Parts: sequence; C-alpha cells; structure tokens
Amino acid sequence: MTANPIAPSPAPSVSDLLRRALRRDRFRVHGAARRRRAVVLEIVGATLWCLVGFAVLITGARHLEVWLSSRALDLLGETRISGALGDAFLIFGPGQDPLIAELTASCSALTSLLALSALAVFVLRRRPHVLGGFLVAAAWILLANQLRLILSLLAGLHLDVNALVLFHDWVGALLNFGYTLIGLLIMIALTMHSSERAEQDRSGRHTAGRPDAWARPGLGYRVENVERGRGPRIRLAAFVHRRLLPRAVSRRLAARRERGRIDYRLGHLDPAERAAAVRELAGKGLGVHTATLVAVATHETDATVLDALADAVAARQWEPVSDRQIVALRLWSRAWLMRAPAAPPAAPAGESDHEEPFVRLVAVTGAGGPAGVAVIRALRAAGHRVLALDADPDAVGLRLGDAAAVLPRADADGYGETLLDVVAAHRPDALICTVAEEYAALGAVTARLAALGCRTWLPDSDAVRTCLDKAAFAAALHAAGVPHPATATTVEQAAALPGPWIVKPAHGRGSRDVHLAWTGDELARAFVAVPGPIAQPRLAGREFTADVLVARDGTLLTCVPRWRDETKAGISVRGATFDSSAVTRVVADAVRAVGLTGPANVQGFVADPAPLVADPDAEVAVTVVELNPRFSGGLPLSLAAGADLVGTYLIGIVEPDAPLPRLSFQPGVRMARHFAEVYYGADGAPVTDPLAA
Amino acid sequence: MVTVAPAPRHSATAGRDAEHHRWALLTYALLLVGAFVAFGVDSTLGVIAGALNVIFLAYFFRHLAFAISAARWAEEDLVAADVGVEAYAPPLAVLVACKNEELVVDGMISALLGLDYPRDALSLVVVDDGSTDGTAARLDAWAAAEPRLRVLHRAPDAGGGKSGALNDALAQIQAEIVVVFDADHEPERNVLRRLVRHFRDPNVGAVMGRCVVRNGVESSLASTIFIDYLSGYLVNEYGRQALFELPAYGGANCAVRTDVLRALNGWNPHTVTEDTDLTLRVLLGGRRVRYDPAAVDFEEAVLSSGRFWRQRYRWARGHQKCLRDYWRTALRSPHLRLAEKIETLMFLWVYHIPVLCGLGLLITALRGFGIGGPAAIDILPLSTLLFAGPFAELSVGLLLGRVERRAAWLLVGFIPAFGLSILTATAAYFDGMWGRRYSWAKTARSGATSVRPAAPAPVGPAPVSFARRALPAGVPKGESR
Repeated sequence: MTANPIAPSPAPSVSDLLRRALRRDRFRVHGAARRRRAVVLEIVGATLWCLVGFAVLITGARHLEVWLSSRALDLLGETRISGALGDAFLIFGPGQDPLIAELTASCSALTSLLALSALAVFVLRRRPHVLGGFLVAAAWILLANQLRLILSLLAGLHLDVNALVLFHDWVGALLNFGYTLIGLLIMIALTMHSSERAEQDRSGRHTAGRPDAWARPGLGYRVENVERGRGPRIRLAAFVHRRLLPRAVSRRLAARRERGRIDYRLGHLDPAERAAAVRELAGKGLGVHTATLVAVATHETDATVLDALADAVAARQWEPVSDRQIVALRLWSRAWLMRAPAAPPAAPAGESDHEEPFVRLVAVTGAGGPAGVAVIRALRAAGHRVLALDADPDAVGLRLGDAAAVLPRADADGYGETLLDVVAAHRPDALICTVAEEYAALGAVTARLAALGCRTWLPDSDAVRTCLDKAAFAAALHAAGVPHPATATTVEQAAALPGPWIVKPAHGRGSRDVHLAWTGDELARAFVAVPGPIAQPRLAGREFTADVLVARDGTLLTCVPRWRDETKAGISVRGATFDSSAVTRVVADAVRAVGLTGPANVQGFVADPAPLVADPDAEVAVTVVELNPRFSGGLPLSLAAGADLVGTYLIGIVEPDAPLPRLSFQPGVRMARHFAEVYYGADGAPVTDPLAA
Repeated sequence: MVTVAPAPRHSATAGRDAEHHRWALLTYALLLVGAFVAFGVDSTLGVIAGALNVIFLAYFFRHLAFAISAARWAEEDLVAADVGVEAYAPPLAVLVACKNEELVVDGMISALLGLDYPRDALSLVVVDDGSTDGTAARLDAWAAAEPRLRVLHRAPDAGGGKSGALNDALAQIQAEIVVVFDADHEPERNVLRRLVRHFRDPNVGAVMGRCVVRNGVESSLASTIFIDYLSGYLVNEYGRQALFELPAYGGANCAVRTDVLRALNGWNPHTVTEDTDLTLRVLLGGRRVRYDPAAVDFEEAVLSSGRFWRQRYRWARGHQKCLRDYWRTALRSPHLRLAEKIETLMFLWVYHIPVLCGLGLLITALRGFGIGGPAAIDILPLSTLLFAGPFAELSVGLLLGRVERRAAWLLVGFIPAFGLSILTATAAYFDGMWGRRYSWAKTARSGATSVRPAAPAPVGPAPVSFARRALPAGVPKGESR
C-alpha cells in the first residue's frame, strides 16, 4: 500500500490569526454600542408592552370602565345613565332624547396605566417597592378616571351633548394629565426610600451619617445637626414578618435581604474592630454577609483590615460559590494576596489571645542616627514592629529593628526604586523618615509607596528646602518677625556684624564644619574652610532644643523645650525639660513661618534664663537658630517627659483624617546619656552581649 | 493623536458687535406664510404639529434611554472601587475665577486647601477678576497664610469674563492637567484623584465631575434645582456617557489636559457658555470627554426666579450659539461615528426644544379656538411627550440619589419650571437670532450654606505652653491648658 504524501498546510501566522479574529470581530458590537443595544431592547420591550397591552386589553378595559361608572351612578341614584350597551353609555338627556356616549380608547385609563406599568417594569424594576407603588397609583388613576367619566356624563345629562364633549375633551384632558401625574408621583414616592433609610433629605442634606470613606459619593451635603427622619409609627414590613409570615420564611427573606445590603455600620469602627468584625462576618459564611464583605474590599483603606478579609476568604475556599459576588471576593483576595508577602507565621495556639493584634510594621529611615535609634526604640516599646533602613550597612539601628535593609544614599541613583523594592517585600504600613535630606527623594515615590500600602506624611517640600538652607531660613524668619541672629553670606557682610562669629555651612547638619571665629582673620579663614558658608554672631545665653509636632492643618500639637546642658557631636547628652511660654510662642512662630507640618526640632538660645525658674511665663529673650524638619537626637528626653511624639505622628500617618491630640509634658525631667552596644558577626548574625543582665 | 483645533467661530455674542441671523428669521416667516397660502392654515399647522410630535418622540426616547441606562448601571458605578488613584498623580493646577464672590470665597479656598493630592504636584491659582467687593482682600489674606495658594488680580476692564480670567491663569501655570472650579463650589476631598484617573487614557482630553446642590434648604426653587441636578448628572450626563461616550464638559468641577487646552487656544472668550464650546472643540479635535459621577463637588443653586431666569437665559443663549457655530463641523467630523453625530446634534438642539414646546402649545391653543387641523402624525398626545421623558429622568435621579420619599412631591415644581424654560429659551432664541448684544451675566451668590472659615490671620496666637503645671486652687482638674 502506498500513500501519497500530503503536504502539511502551513501553520497560520499570528498576524493571520489576528486578522481573522478582527474580521469576525467586526460583526460584534462593542462598548457603547453594546450598551445601546441593551437599552434599545428595553425600549422596544416597553413599546411592545404598551402596544400589545393596549390591543389586548382595550376592549375589556372599556367594558369594565363603563360597567364601573354605571354601577357607581346607580349607587348614587342616577338611573338616567345606563351602561347596558357594554362599551358606551346610554344617556337620557334634558329632552329625554337618548344619547349614546361611546367610551373611546382615549377616555379609558388604560393608556395611563400601561405607561406607568412600562415605567415600573422597564426602568424601575430593580427596586421591588415599585410593585406596591404601581398598585396604589393604578388604583388612584382608575378612581380618578371614573370621576372624570361620571362628571362628563353628568354634564351631558344636565346640559347637552356639547357640554359633555367640551368637558370630556378639554377639561377632562387636563384632569387626565393631572391625575396621571399624581399617579406617577405616588408610584415614585412609594418606590423611593423612606426618610429613615434615605441618605439625603429633600433639600440635599446628608442624613445617613455614613463615615466619609464609606458613603456613596455626593449623596448629601454634610451639615451638622440634621434631623434624621422618624420612622413610621406602624412598620408594615415588621408587622408582616413578626405576625404573619412563618418564622422560617421570615428568616429566609431576612438572609436574602442581608446578602444584598451594605452594612455601613462597619465603617464607624476603628481598624481593630473592623478587622474583628470582618473575621466574624466571614466566619458565618461568605454567602451570608457578602455585600458587606464586598463593601470592605471596595472602601477599606486599612491594610490590616484588608489582610483580615483576604485571609478569611482564603480560608473559606471550600464554600460553594452561590453568589456572583463571592466570585468577586475570591478574585479580589487573590489579587491582594498575590501582591502582599506571605504573612508572618501565626502564633501557636494559646498565645494568639495574648498577642497585640494590631501591631504596625513601620519602616524607619536613617536608622543609624540618634533620631532613628530613638524612633525605633520608641516604636518597639509601643509594641510595633520596625523595618530599619539606612545607607550604612553598619548602622546600629539595623540591629535594633525586627527587619532591616540597606538603601543607597538618598542622593544616589536607585534610591527610590530600591526603597520600593524593600517596601514591596516587607509591606510596612507606614514610613517614618528621620533624615531631612531624604524628603525630596521620598516625595517622588510617595504615591507608589501608598499603592503598596505604605503611608507617609512628608512636610511641604518648600518648607523643607527653607529649613535646610540656613540663608533662606534666616530670610523666612526675618520676614515673619521671628527673632533670629543676623546672617551674613559673605566675609564683608559678616565683618559688619558684631563678633565673635559662628561660621557654618548653609546646608550642613549635625554640627559638622562649624567654626568659631574671634577675629577678622579667623573669620576670613573660616569662610575659606567651610563649604557654602554663612556667618552669624555667636549668641549668649542658654541653649535649648524644642521637640515639636505640627498637625497637617498647621496646628501645633506639642512643644517640649529642653536645655542642652552638654552636647557631643551636636547631640544632647545631658539636659532637662523646662517650661516657658516665651519659648513656646517663638518656636510656634518659627514653625508657622516656614509652613512645616509633622515632627521637627527647633534650636535656639534664651538670653536670660534665670527668671524662668520662678515664673515660666516670664518674658525672656528667645532667639531661634535652626529648625530641623525631623525628629531630634535628644528625642528620648521628650518622650520620657510624657509627650508621645512618635506614637502620635504614627497615628497621623496611617489615619490622615484622624484628629490628633495635644501632647503635654512634664517639665524638670533630666536626662543623662550613656553608651550602649550591639554586637554582630561578619555575616550580620547577632553576637551575645556578655554584659547583658 | 495630535489634537487639531477646529477653528471656533469667534464672531460673537459676548461683548462685541453681535452676529445676527435676521435673514434666517425672515426666511422662516416667508416659508410659513407661503405654506399658509399654498396649503391652507389648517393643513400647515397640522403638518407642523405632526413634525413636532416626531421631534418630541425622538427626545422622549432619548430621555427614556438615559433613564434606563442610569437605572441599570449608575448605582453600581457610584460605589465601584477606585483603582490606582493614589499611584497616578500628574502635575495639576486648580484654577478658580472669582468676581465679587466675598460671600463664598472662604468656603471655596478652605475646600481647595483640604484637597487630597500630592503637595508637590498641586498648584492652586485663584484669579480675582476685578472684584469690587471684599473678594480681593480675602484672597490676599488666604495667600499670605498659605504659601500653596497663588492669587492673580485682573483689572476690572480686562474683559473676557470667566474665560478671560481662566486664560490669564492658564498662561501662568506649568501643569499637565488643569482643574476648574467656580467660586461657589466646595469640592469633596478626593475629587482631584477621581477626575485625574481618567487621563491615564491619552485619548482623553477633558473630564467632567458631578456637581451637587448644597443649599436646597434655602428655598423651594433651590430644592427643585437640587433635584434637577440629581437628574441632570446622575441620569442625563450618565446616560450620554453610557450610551454614546459623549458627556459634556460642564465648566466647573472638571479637568482638561493642558496641552489640549493650549492647542485649542484656551477657553473661548466670545461665548457665554465656554463649557459647551470647549466640549465641542475637544470632541471635534479628536479627543474624548469623560464623566465621573463619583468626583463630586457642592455648589449653590440660585434662590430667586429672577436669578434663575438670568442663569438659564445665559445657558440657553450660549448653547444655542454653539449649535449655530458647530453643527456643520460636527456633521463633517471624521472623529464622530454616525450615532455620535446624531447624539451631538440632539445635544446641541437641547435648548431649542423648549422653543418648539412653546410652538406646540401655541398650536394646541389655536386648535382650541378651531384654528389648525389634526396633527399629521399623532403618535402620542403632545402633553405626554412634553413631560414624560424628563419625568422619567427625574424619577430615576431621585432613586439613585437615595433622597427621602417626600421629595417626590417636589416634582410638581417642575411644571412651572418647564414653563419658565420655554420662555427663557424662546427669548434667548429670538435675541440670539436677532443679534441682540449680550455679555457674561455673573450669577449672584447667597453664601448661606458655605462653610466659611475666615482667612487665617498671618500670625495667630501661639499656645502658651504644653507643660503640665500645677492648677490654681478652685480650677477643676483636667488637661492643664
């Protein structure tokens, strides 16, 4: 047996396949046209509903209405009008000449009823209340049309046929329009929400009390003290459920209603309670409170709550997908968990009850500096977990956090991308920056950090630039009238100021390159030695630093002044908090002058501090020297004095709309610092501290 | 696609010698008289009534289609999750033109300063358009306390109305997107992010948000306008987007791509409805307008029938002029499909329909006196068509807005409102055709429901101290100060 070789047909190329697909695609309807088709079908349906309904029902409707009118007239004792002809009235008028008045199609209420029913079925059918609304409206229209017919007939009976026609055609047409409109309004009113379930009143004021993040957008202008509508005295639905329906049916209907209703009350809870509620609701079955769970996935912004939801959905994948919204939940959870890292292993059973359930993971930059170390310790002391970040692999703070990563310097290429990678890997809830020079680089990636669930609160970039440039800072303070030493940017200008002088870089930090010049020669040499120098007269008096926290709206939340009794490398190692209204006022003015928000520390001098011992309101002379838009190295003293700047700032980061409290502090708390060590091997593994207790 | 600006016909209504169409009016009159002579008055009026019924039927189905589409999809749209709004924040400038707005300007600035958008990417520019009240002083006080806010002052005779003021501000900014509010508007905090998200699509030239009336409590007219806006934005504008992807840019609470705007030579100062004008120019330039019902701001409704007349007259006058300016270009546009051209023309015709309604009522009244024959095409009674479509939209608007039940009875107020709109549109039509001069009529404000924090003083009182101090005898215990 031989076989003729059959040449294999060449495989179609991708472009061929695409071309064929597109050719087929030309006959499909897309986008708006697809939606138009759906709506046109509804309109065709409504039109057919009216036309077919009219053709089928008009004869019966005419007979029914004639019968109803004649029965009503019989009951009123009027026997000169008869409905014996079926679809017409026989009227024995003033001269007893019989007159036949046919009830034409335009006299019937059928057209109005069909129009309303078409509106109910084809436009408003999603709201089941429309059925009751239509029935009441239909009864009204039928009754009103009977009245119109009877009045027309009486006009014909007592006057003449012209009066009947005039009344029916003109007055009756107006009546027809009026009662049809009222019928429409009845139907709409009964279809609308009762005042207790509505979200806005008739003048557009929000009445539902929904929290902002959970409210439907634009449903009501928010004003205070809007009275919520009172519910009806007799609750028909409640009566039906409690008294008439069997308990099993009532429960089944309630469960069905619950599946489709968003439980807005969740939005009012705090994140911990929301997460607990989500776990509880999901635990009852995804198909029970589906709408609420979808609402959480839609509106929730807190990562811990979303984690709770995704975990709950992931744990219930055995549950039959009885509702399309469960599919949506499963898809959302899939996407959420795909972009989030694996959660840390759960605590063993029995320990979980004692675990702090809503610990934040907070990234802290500048972990090697004293401010970074202070912030890390404060966060860990509050029970949070810390992701320590620094450019120096030997930075001590990297050993003090729960996780650590090394970043490039903020001014190096790749800082932002590396930071994003680290954040994507660890998924911290918030980032605290303790190095002011990093703000500019961070500002470029805040949106992308937020997209990864990592919130930040950075001060205004102009304000930061002003603070970091000592010449610009001096100009801003002088413009605002805040006491600040005269500042010179050239030797000539400096020589005109009274000496001795402090010469320092305009963009320096941490007391680096700061020179004291006693003579003109020393001043000139210092201007050569210091990069980008400025000069100020050296101030007399006692030096202080004030730790401040400013709310997003510019409100000063706290100002903790402390004496810098001894410093090493620019860091306060001995000091004490003190109370002074003059210092607080000047510090507040300085912060406002640059428009800063968030944490900051203000350094300055009190020329004559002695009166403050006896009177904290003494009008002492205060001069501000520097303002650093970040936490200070001496922060632990302010924390020890009772002002929780770090915790409050963290709340301000993760809940931007939350009102932040004023923080008071205890004056007279003293600090004496000592060295502390951490040990680690070449591979970074910790080495036991032999001196640890 | 590079936007090609269609040349707007700046032959103008506003300010300069107005164009006129008296020859067209004369032609219509001669045609009518000719028809009377040739076919008789009754037949002619019957044919006109039939033609009107066809037009009304077309608009009835248009209203019904919008109502159906909104009833189907709008509620889910309102609560649909925002996607990636925090990750996309191009440089943006908010522009507001103010002329004698001292009653509302504080609330507006306060709302602007509370907007959620990266500070580095947002600039706020408010133009004082030659105000003669305290607007300029209030703006300066805000600017002194808020470095983010820039205030531009225009001379009282600078001209150009709102368009002129906005064009001056446009020349001063460097941003990818421009968002415009009016002085009586108080945007919701997230409005910028929601408006801007649509510009991810490079084909989008402008985005419209939803305006909501906030002072419905002040008068029954304001309540009626509140419902009118619900219907207009949640149903009509929504339906235009859902069915034709042709929503209108509305002049406030809306965003435009700056390069598109500059390519179109900015806002047209020779029209009194610069919004409709810009909508047409963006569409005819090949870009799209989008609508976001979740990008909300609150504004004031007018409180008196006099102000209502002036406002609606301006809208009618400007909109009718847009029809005359753009209908030919729209028909020839390669950027619009057939269905889109039809919808664009119907949209441009919207302010002519009340004129035809008036004509229909006149013909009906003449029939009452025995003049005029039956309509050649008597599909439905005229009265039904006049009211049924708008009432379907209004009903769906109330339901979507989740307004309390009692508001349904306010719909009765729309019957006189329809009557008034017939008068305003008819007056605007004849004035526009006759070429009567008309310039921008600013809408007066009430300011009663405006959130009105005063401009912060440049230097406020500082707190005395945060230290815990011993309380003097007799002072109740609590936070020290």
